[in-house]
Amino acid sequence: MAIENSNERNLEKFSPATDIVESEQGFYMYMDLPGVSRENLDIDLDENKLVVSGKTASPLSEGEKFIDQEFCEGEYKRRFTIADVVDTKNIKANLKNGVLELFLPKMPEIKPRKIKITSD
Amino acid sequence: MVIDFGSFYNFPYEFDKVFHDVFNPHHNRRRKAAYPPLNIGEDEKNIYIRAEVPGIPIEDMEITITAKDLVLRGERKLPEGRYFRQERPSGVFQRIVSINTSIDSDNVTASIKDGILNIVLPKSESSVPKKVDIAIE
Repeated sequence: MAIENSNERNLEKFSPATDIVESEQGFYMYMDLPGVSRENLDIDLDENKLVVSGKTASPLSEGEKFIDQEFCEGEYKRRFTIADVVDTKNIKANLKNGVLELFLPKMPEIKPRKIKITSD
Repeated sequence: MVIDFGSFYNFPYEFDKVFHDVFNPHHNRRRKAAYPPLNIGEDEKNIYIRAEVPGIPIEDMEITITAKDLVLRGERKLPEGRYFRQERPSGVFQRIVSINTSIDSDNVTASIKDGILNIVLPKSESSVPKKVDIAIE
């Protein structure tokens, strides 16, 4: 788990900026994770708790020294509680260009139906 | 706190920062007000400029190199819809980096990986400053 990894070095922890957009089919979550590759990203789902964690790659190449630094390496971690209307079995995740896109579909609604009456 | 009335929307960050500054005054501050955050580094041969630009395709950014500085500008567009929560910054941005060393502006390269833009500016061999304007699309 990511918590154990962070003990190796004292990494800074960040909460990634997240947008949540609702549509008819479900919810889209967009999370900014710059510097996190697919291999370093973990998404864990335990019942209705969703945990996203990822480590960024080292910002420096070999032999390079900083002139100015405004962002640094670290670990992203954020916990979400998922609403009951979400179909947790069909959550989809896609990481593209430093943005994680999660799609949380809504449960198919129980449609009202008519009961046929038979008469003998 | 300086309230920025620019078109770049980053209110949640400003709001969080006020609390953060009060409760963690000595905490190593990660982000500054300017967007995108830049790291500038150098070694013997090159100057490296890195920017955190998650989700911004390279077509939406423009890098211009003049004799004295590098200008990075672009626009961050977010998907339309009904927002439950909005924390990610959006809008038009511009940053200017002044370069004091002479660089070989013909061999500047820019690439993007995992939302990090990496610009490599090779230092020029001669000390004569060149005045060539180029644009990387």
